[in-house]
Amino acid sequence: MKLYATLFTLLLLISGCASKSYVKFVDNSIEDVIEIKSVNNRVKENGFTEVQIKGENETDQYMLFRYRVTWEDKDGFEIPSLSSNWTEFPAHKNAMFRINIIGPSKKATEYQIYIDKDIK
Amino acid sequence: MNKIKLSLVVSTLSLLLLSGCAQKVTKIDVNNDTGEQVMGLDYRDFNQAAGEAVQSMLKSSALDKKNDKRHVLAISNVTNDTMQHIDTDQLVKKIRVELLNSGKVYVTTAIGNAEDKMNKEARALREDADFKQDTIAKEGTLIAPDMSLSGKILQRNININKDMQQVEYYFMLTLTEVKTGFAVWEGETLIGKRGSSKSVAW
Repeated sequence: MKLYATLFTLLLLISGCASKSYVKFVDNSIEDVIEIKSVNNRVKENGFTEVQIKGENETDQYMLFRYRVTWEDKDGFEIPSLSSNWTEFPAHKNAMFRINIIGPSKKATEYQIYIDKDIK
Repeated sequence: MNKIKLSLVVSTLSLLLLSGCAQKVTKIDVNNDTGEQVMGLDYRDFNQAAGEAVQSMLKSSALDKKNDKRHVLAISNVTNDTMQHIDTDQLVKKIRVELLNSGKVYVTTAIGNAEDKMNKEARALREDADFKQDTIAKEGTLIAPDMSLSGKILQRNININKDMQQVEYYFMLTLTEVKTGFAVWEGETLIGKRGSSKSVAW
């Protein structure tokens, strides 16, 4: 019985530690090129959610990527915004890059960021 | 009779040839447009410029107001200073929609470039006996703007050599506090294109 209780507690702990992935690579090959170091968010004084992604281009080449963000309200309904269009961002060789985005309204509390290779 | 037959054959052949040469029409997938860039401005450029402007405005807190109240925003002149026949509403409308949805502003259509003449026409009915007078807007009900959005889209052409040209487009926007006349936010997006001199940028 004690063993079951311990296993159950462990399971709870593990599931509690599993965090949602806020960044998704559209093309799997991007994983070999850039590494996401952190995804931070904060609620500003005006109630808007601000997100900052820090990553690193681990190659010896300057590269251009693109990202888009989908926003949802607390009930999981999508909030359309211009940030759901693809936006380019540069990643200089062997250097950190930052993506900084603000939610389209106070209602936008959940987000998902997609990163893809640029199509130029 | 032979002449008629001959003309029918020629007409049919011409039609077949023409339809064979016609380029197939495809619908643009605006969510993932992999089409070639053009030297002129297209919807992708307006999306980029509007998106950057709104992000910058919201990050700047220039539109924040006490007690979550909204500003009243008037659309002033946004000038097209390019060689292209574009309607600057392609840019302004996207910004208006996004700002309205942000909960930060109401856009007034009472004055400015977004003016809806019905605001005045509906009030002109005050003397018209055909209209139930208590359904007509009273005097002093319109709200004056406390913010104004103005700007310019600028184009600069540079010849790199006889075969290549560079076209720079500047999207310049200013948010002015009407009471003080201060520019409380300003933004600029540069979109640069390089291509054949034979490409037309207007």
